[in-house]
Amino acid sequence: MRLFDRVFTGSDEMLARAETAVSKTYEKLGDAAPVAFGSTAYYLPCIYAYLGLKVTNMGELKAAMEPIKALMTRNYRLHDVFTSGIATVLAAEVIEACKYAENPTPYEDRYHGRMTDAEVRELGVPLVTRDIPGFVVIIDEAPTDEQALALIKGYQSRGIFVFLLKGAIDQAERCGIKMGFPVRIVPVGPGIESVAHIISLVVRAAFIFGAVQPGDYDGFNKYSFERIFAFVNAFGPLEHITVGCGAGAIAMGFPVITNDTYDVDVVPKSLIIQENVDDLIDTSLEARDIKIKVSNIDIPIACSSAFEGEIIRKADMYIEADGSRMDCFELVRTKELHEIEDHKIEVIGPELDSFEAGSKINLAILVDVAGKNMQSDFEPVFERKIHNYVNCLEGVMHTGQRDLIRIRVSKTAFEAGFRVKHFGELLYAKMKNDFSQVVDKCQVTLVTDPALLPDLRKEANVAYDKRDDRLRSLTDESVDCFYTCTLCQSFSPSHVCIVTPERLGLCGAVSWLDAKATNELQPNGPCQVVTKTRVIDEHKGAYEDVNEAVRQYSQGALEQVTLYSIMEDPMTSCGCFECICGIEPFSNGVIIVNREYTGTTPVGMTFAELASMTGGGVQTPGFMGHGRHFIASKKFMKAEGGIARIVWMPKALKDMVSERLNATAKELYGIDNFCDMIADETITEDPESLVAFLSEKGHPALEMDPMM
Amino acid sequence: MPFTAKPRKFSAGIIEIPLGVGQNAVTIGGGNVLPLYYFDNPAKNPPAVGVEITDTGVEAAGLPELAAYYEGANTPAERAKKAAAMEGADFVCLRFEGADPGGLNRSVADCVAIAKEVVEAINKPLVIAGSKNLEKDVELFSACAEVCSDKNVLFLSAREENYKTIGASCALAYGQKVGAESSVDINLAKQLNVLMTQLGVQPQSIVMNLGSAAAGYGFEYVASTMERVKLAALEQNDTMLQMPVITPVASETWSVKESIMPESDMPEWGSLEERGIEMETVTASACLASGCDAVILRHPTSVKAIAALIAALL
Repeated sequence: MRLFDRVFTGSDEMLARAETAVSKTYEKLGDAAPVAFGSTAYYLPCIYAYLGLKVTNMGELKAAMEPIKALMTRNYRLHDVFTSGIATVLAAEVIEACKYAENPTPYEDRYHGRMTDAEVRELGVPLVTRDIPGFVVIIDEAPTDEQALALIKGYQSRGIFVFLLKGAIDQAERCGIKMGFPVRIVPVGPGIESVAHIISLVVRAAFIFGAVQPGDYDGFNKYSFERIFAFVNAFGPLEHITVGCGAGAIAMGFPVITNDTYDVDVVPKSLIIQENVDDLIDTSLEARDIKIKVSNIDIPIACSSAFEGEIIRKADMYIEADGSRMDCFELVRTKELHEIEDHKIEVIGPELDSFEAGSKINLAILVDVAGKNMQSDFEPVFERKIHNYVNCLEGVMHTGQRDLIRIRVSKTAFEAGFRVKHFGELLYAKMKNDFSQVVDKCQVTLVTDPALLPDLRKEANVAYDKRDDRLRSLTDESVDCFYTCTLCQSFSPSHVCIVTPERLGLCGAVSWLDAKATNELQPNGPCQVVTKTRVIDEHKGAYEDVNEAVRQYSQGALEQVTLYSIMEDPMTSCGCFECICGIEPFSNGVIIVNREYTGTTPVGMTFAELASMTGGGVQTPGFMGHGRHFIASKKFMKAEGGIARIVWMPKALKDMVSERLNATAKELYGIDNFCDMIADETITEDPESLVAFLSEKGHPALEMDPMM
Repeated sequence: MPFTAKPRKFSAGIIEIPLGVGQNAVTIGGGNVLPLYYFDNPAKNPPAVGVEITDTGVEAAGLPELAAYYEGANTPAERAKKAAAMEGADFVCLRFEGADPGGLNRSVADCVAIAKEVVEAINKPLVIAGSKNLEKDVELFSACAEVCSDKNVLFLSAREENYKTIGASCALAYGQKVGAESSVDINLAKQLNVLMTQLGVQPQSIVMNLGSAAAGYGFEYVASTMERVKLAALEQNDTMLQMPVITPVASETWSVKESIMPESDMPEWGSLEERGIEMETVTASACLASGCDAVILRHPTSVKAIAALIAALL
């Protein structure tokens, strides 16, 4: 039988049972007999929610049968399946209401039955805040008692609230599981109709927390889909009536996962078959998009930012993993969801116990992550965080990145029980918690086996090279959006950074990829998307979109910004800039000075003096704060002719950027060793002798159009 | 040439939020002019002044005038009654100083009993302020929201770390008002408002606490933030910054050295109580000038002075 017919048949069965129950109870108690579950202000909550009817007595209950029946349409469209499913649940509530009309405590102690408004609030708050990540409804018996026990315990350990129906309750009793509201495992009732009490909880949560109005059919389904993270585990063989109720659950956004294959048509994301009961939890959580936060990191030493700066001396160290002497590296890799077993921590090769104190070891840290919103662009961003995480361990030091890492574990940490596998536990927990928006699954592999490492390191280098290629290929033209960064507005209220691939934040700490990841992780945070569709002048980097963004995010303090100019509406600075460039009128060029340089410059000012007129979100044409990396960019004051304008830099800064700067000069102007033409403090700090030096070297700035 | 006033009224406005119920309700917010610019457009609701009492009552120690005002009032409920009767008081703020796990660590059940007594005792709206301990406040507020249901109480405050539970248990489950507290940063303030509304809390249930400082203790940051929040709300019609602003002034100003250094240690500074009143009054008036819609004060003299200032400017 096809799925539609199974739903309709099950729905008819429930309706027939409801009609029988109503006429029986009606006959027995009469028209005026009160009907209520007690301890709720929402009448019969499901009927009140979906039909807007306030049922208080048997007469009204009888009258409610007609509109319930009217929902059971049979046009063989998906819509009919959903409305019939909801109607099945409403019919189930009718049956339950009859039970309560005849006896206020029909279930006595064994089953929980109806839930009070107080219980809805008690469970509703953590459901809304996601402190309880979701709830599961388990229907009927798992193939074996062991599987049932593992399943329920598995949900319990993940903080998932468990409702049991029918055979699932008998089985849990046989397994000796303690049940009740406080332990978050509730035996609801022996019949499928008691599912109405669970749906009753959902609709009351929508009433209380979502202010959804009675009778707003779509409103309730929307609320439960968006806010209530529930799902159903129904064990086969599935009865039609269970399938009917399942259609109601699916209409509300709750996927149904079953181990039954007979006569079950799979509906992606809604009706899912998982024959392997051991994998039921993972399949279910993935189907409903539930991510479990890791609350306790299972490591024997403390982890806190207090230990971030700790240094482990050679005498105190138990082992060292040094990428410059041995094969060591760290790598974050994006994988497909099915390729990863969440929370798998594997150590390949000897553990720390096999090494003597003071050893140098090989170590590869491979962090595999997967998620629906994961992008390989985030890999370097996450990978860089490994340094912070590992450094926070008490008695562990981490420096460097990629295959030039150096990790030391102290003797004290080793004695406290710290082992290589604990890196895995730490990184697993941090990745899952800090990047929960994009990381759905994470596994960590730690390799200490010297035989495997040379090849692994080669593979890692292929990955690093690929990333570098990607970074090099990222240009302002090749992407379709820029990002704002307003992180510094707390002290520089009117400043907005526009971060582009070729112009990182002026602090040097926020690249375009960082901004992109920040936007994904904190959608309401400091990095917002700036489109670049309305071009004013691409050469100067003027965009209507950019101007709108700076206007909006500076609260109107700033009107417009030209991305590649220092003369015309230059980008403002908060005060965190690594460098300042300023116009040097005698030579027709600019000088650049970095924060570390304390001396004076040919413009007659020190870094501090220049900073006072550049920071604070003001536009001072001719002066601009920027990051070190921006110096070698092809976009550096492109509007005024680009890097050919640079005439002076402190020597230390020049040495730092020379390789990349020379390459850019060669590419843009065909000049070899451009940095040799740039003066520094060892040559002169005086404008007149600067011009003499530049003329001698044939510096291109002297020939360029005047800047002012 | 005669002076022609050009009133600057904005089409956008601050959300009006009633506190308390029935005849005793007070509405805050609702303006559409720059702070105190009542010559541009008369105030819809004048800024409100709240009187703070604590569950412990120790704040009056060493301050004879304040102690005299509360003389004979031995329980929080009795003090709350006197606070409500203070000249210029629009609402009462009960601060659970004693709930702090680092201090008295009064149990949630005891606090709830106090809150219930206080809310029954007074005929003015109630604001409940927590212990500033993130976890304790969550428990405390959830429990107080239940016993004060139907009283339309404002809870101070939910922060980024605990807004979900406070928002859900106070605003969603019991329809109370919630303060959204950020630390003197317009973007963080806005982000918290966005997050709260995404949780399902209506903007009409949110009052902002932008953070404060005593005058002379970095207040220029506070002034600048408040001003920019008001401008974003009015000039740019930023709906996520149009919630009214409440500032608990007393808890800031009565803990700085000017307000706690005894006269015996610093005779040249003069009377301790007078100094405290001045700090409180100066800070509160600066908050109002920067865009606050409600301030919370402690001393009867300050309350009277600030109420008089507001009345004179209307």
